[in-house]
Formats: sequence, C-alpha cells, structure tokens
Amino acid sequence: MGRCDISWGEPVKKALFLLLICLAAGSIPLLMTRQSFADSLETVATALARRAGDWTAQEKNGTYDRKTIFDYIDGAGEVYRAYNMRGCLSRSYTAAGKPTIVLDIFDMGSSRDAFGVFTHDRDGKPLEVGQEGLYREGWLSFWKGRFFVSVYMERETVAAKEAAFRLARAVDSIIGKEGPKPPILRRLPSKGLQDQSIRYLHHPMLLNYHYYLYDENLLNLGQETDVLLASYRRDGKRARLLLVLYPNPKRAQEAHRTFRSHYLPEAEGEGAVLLENGKWSAASRAGKYLAVVLEADSRYLAEGLLEEVRKGL
Amino acid sequence: MGARKKIITRRDFLRVGTCFTLGSLVGLPITEDTHADSVKRSRVVLVRDRRVLDSSGQIDRIVLRDMLDGAVAALQDVSEPSSAWERLVAPHDIVGIKTNVWPYLPTPEPLHDAIRERLTEAGVREENISADDRGVLRNPVFQRSTALINARPMRTHHWSGLSTLLKNYIMFVPNPSRFHDNACERLGAIWHLPHVKGKTRLNVLVMITPLFHGMGPHHFSRQHTWPYCGLIVSKDPVAADTTGARIIQAKRDAFFGEEKPASPPNRHIGAADTRFKLGNSRPERIELVRLGWEEDILL
Repeated sequence: MGRCDISWGEPVKKALFLLLICLAAGSIPLLMTRQSFADSLETVATALARRAGDWTAQEKNGTYDRKTIFDYIDGAGEVYRAYNMRGCLSRSYTAAGKPTIVLDIFDMGSSRDAFGVFTHDRDGKPLEVGQEGLYREGWLSFWKGRFFVSVYMERETVAAKEAAFRLARAVDSIIGKEGPKPPILRRLPSKGLQDQSIRYLHHPMLLNYHYYLYDENLLNLGQETDVLLASYRRDGKRARLLLVLYPNPKRAQEAHRTFRSHYLPEAEGEGAVLLENGKWSAASRAGKYLAVVLEADSRYLAEGLLEEVRKGL
Repeated sequence: MGARKKIITRRDFLRVGTCFTLGSLVGLPITEDTHADSVKRSRVVLVRDRRVLDSSGQIDRIVLRDMLDGAVAALQDVSEPSSAWERLVAPHDIVGIKTNVWPYLPTPEPLHDAIRERLTEAGVREENISADDRGVLRNPVFQRSTALINARPMRTHHWSGLSTLLKNYIMFVPNPSRFHDNACERLGAIWHLPHVKGKTRLNVLVMITPLFHGMGPHHFSRQHTWPYCGLIVSKDPVAADTTGARIIQAKRDAFFGEEKPASPPNRHIGAADTRFKLGNSRPERIELVRLGWEEDILL
C-alpha cells in the first residue's frame, strides 16, 4: 500500500502541478486583457495634457463600462455595445465663457471594431488624424488601433475648433500603435467602390439603421458575423452591396435560403429580380459568404457585381 | 394556433411606395387593420410664438405658459384655460408629469412649472403632483398616479429615428433597451402596461428648439436645432407625434436639400396606430388647429 501510495502520489502531484500551471497560464490572457484595457485608457488619460489652449480638463474623468454607458450617452450606448465596447473614458474641457469640449475615448477591444464604429457615421470631411478621421461642424472623430475617439464641441468657435483639433492630435500620438482593418474588406470588388460608403458591422439593428431591410433577423446576423455594406458607382449607375461572412457554410446557406424566400421569392437561380422601385436585387452564396446586391440601377450591374464578388471569394 | 406574424421587409414599403415613402410617418395600413377607420379624428393643437425665446435663446416663462394655456383651451374647445384644465383633471387626481431629462434638450423647467401651476389651480393637491423621468418606477406619486401628463421635446434618435411622446414612456419599463429592436417599433406596447394604460390626460410635444439631425456619441449638435418656437398639444400621442414628425421631416428636407428620412426610418408611430391602437397617424384623421406664428410653419 505504501509503495502504491508513493507511486500514485508523484504523478498526481505532477499532474496537479501541471494543472495549476495550465490554469495560471490560461488566466494570463484574461488578466492581461483586463489589465491592458485598464492601463490603456488610464495611460491615455494620464499622458494627455489637462490643458488645450484656454481649456482645462475637469478634475474627474468619467469612466463607463458596457452597462453604465447608457447613463452617459443614453440609447446611443447600444451602438458601442453592438461593436463590443470594453470601456469609455470621458473628459470635459471647460473655459470661462467658452463652449465645453467633450473628449470620449472608446476602447473597442479590437481594431476591427474600432474601425466598425467609426464607419457608423461617415459624414464629414476627411481629417489627417488617427488611421482615419472625420470632421463635421462641432464634432471630429477618428479611429486608431482599438480605440475610437470623439471630440465634441458644445458650440463650435474658431478657438474651440483649434483646441479640439489639438486634443485629437494629442490622443492620436499617445495611442501610438495602429491596427488592422477587418479582413473581409479585401473581398469587396474595387471597381467603382465608394470608400466613404463602407460600413462594417455585426448587429442586425445596425444594418437596419443604415439600410432598413426587414423587421426580423432574416439574415441571422450576430456578433459572430462580419457584415459589410458598400455602395458602387460604375458608368453613372449605382449599386449597393451587402456582404456577410458567417462562421460556417451551413449558416450562410440557411440565411441565403431564408432571405430568398422572404425577400426575393420570384428569383430564378441567382438571377436578379426587378424591385418595385425599378432597381435590381440579387443574392448569391459561396462557402461562408453571402453576397446580396440590395439595389442596382441595372440588371447587368447587379449580376456583374455579384459575379465579381463570387470570383474574389 | 395563433396566426404566424408576417415579416415586414423593405419590399413591403416599396410596394406601397406610390402612397408612402420609406420614411413615411404612417404605418403599414395595407397589412393591418386600421384603428383610424373606426375612430373619430384626433384634435392636435400647434401653437407657436417667436417671443418664447429671448435674444439669448432663453425661454420666456410667461410666453410659454400663455402658449400652453391657449393650446389646452383650444384642444378642449373652451375659451378659458382654467376650465380646460378642470376638464382634464379632478382635485382627487394624483398626477405624474412625465418629463425628459436628456441633458442637451430636456423638457424645459418652465414648462413643468406651468403645468404644475395649472394643476394646482384645478384643485390637485401639491403633494399629489410630481415631475420625473428616469425615476418614475420608484417615484411614490407615479406609483399611486391616477393621471399622467406627458411632456417632452421632439428630436431625432439613434434607434427609433425620432424621440417622441410615445417613446417618452420607455422609462415605465425596467429594461428600456429591450424595446430598441426594429427601430423601437414595439414602444406602443408600453402604453398598455397596467401602471400606464388609460392614464394619460394630455400630451405636450415641445417644439421650441427641436433637434432634426443627430451625430456622434452624444447625438447632438446645436447647428441641427432651430427656433421653431412651438408646442404641439393633444390627447392623442400618435397624432401629436405624427404632426411633430412631419415638421422634423420638412426641416430635414429643407436643410439637406433633398428628401432625407430620419435614420432609421420611424416605425413606432405607425405601429402605435395600426398595431397598438393608441391613436391616429394618418393625416386625414388628424384635425390640426394652428395658433399663433405662421412663418416657416413647415406644415
């Protein structure tokens, strides 16, 4: 018995030791994620100057997570949650008699989702800040790495605009590291693509925001699907393309079937269907991808675009 | 077995496109029974006074109160505001004034003050009146309320297209985000909850500086508001919202120089009519009474 105890005890101890190592190793990414997220927003906050021109940062930063974001920006918090937001740091800059400038930095967890949330609102003039930036009167935004940054002026004045730009550039330089865009972008045909029209998303609610399609989730979209919405212009004719990457071909196939039966029931094969507004629509699936030309000015454009997508997959 | 719910797609809108555009403010009457066919017209009073804003953009309390009085009297078809209020509430009523605290465009304080003043003049006891937004479910007056007055500014909104009188009751549910699906189409269901149903005596849609377009995390920019200087008053929230939505749409079209429906297209107003039977969204079922300033009325 005694020998037996010894002979079984050692492997058990080793196994337990190995198990502990594995558990500890397994928890490292978790700890790192949590820690690096906190450090990242904190690092930005610490490194960022508390003055911008005549404006001074208020003493306390606002910090929000996925739950408390609603307290800060009301229902708009859903947009950031739909892009997997991890946290938000908010800082208000004030100056006597001048409009408040509000800086919000969202940690989106990945550069893909930082890019995605940036594409949610693409109005504005391109701005050379971050990986891509935009300016509209009273508001400028950009994305870089896994961060989406918004600088909002309660009222735009020359001085406020100057301070807002200064803040944006300061945050840009503190973030430092850039990140990749979603790989699905490479699947879009390039000819006639309107870059500013591209929206990258996951959630059906966001698709309906940009292009109302249906009141049920016919395409079975969710956090695990990558969705692109893009406009094309070729020889004076326009088209709008939807491209979805599913986790597996079966799900893509099912979505294709459901979409066709509810939206294009009269479709024959992969041929285009004339919609009631005089535009053409068509859908096609290849592997894990589903491509839908939502609207095209001509049948030729609808079917041609779909064919190009298919070839590129 | 219940009937299978019809899935509404963009093509349903396209099919009725000759009558209504995608951004239409009405519902889908072709697919559902129309409440409006079986009920009387709804009276909506639009009152405007450019003096409600002073030169620095601040609200003039007296002018605002007069606007409210004029609108409530016209709504009740009486000459005296006091008798109009007495027809709306009784001294034994316990009244919750549902406001909106969104920081960029809240229900103006002078408006709740004016409503409170008129309620007390109509005999409602001071302790039986409370104005609240996010705390309504915990507010003792709202918990005991026999009457509600719904007062909020109109603005564009991320999920519903428009923030409306109908949407203002979203705080009567513990988890508002559950109603964000399908452009908040199901908001009308909230009005049928036991603690809400049948209590609303008056709706006041504030159109003093409405927001016709939103951007960014805060969905607000001063340049997308304008001094419309109006109030829309009705007992029918659907009709009031429909009227406000027409004004917002007209302003958007004028500002952007093209037809530019709010994004996402508003669906909850039409659904409140056709699905939840809360009032009239069809213009022919709305009796619009206009008072005051006519310039740039957008209707």
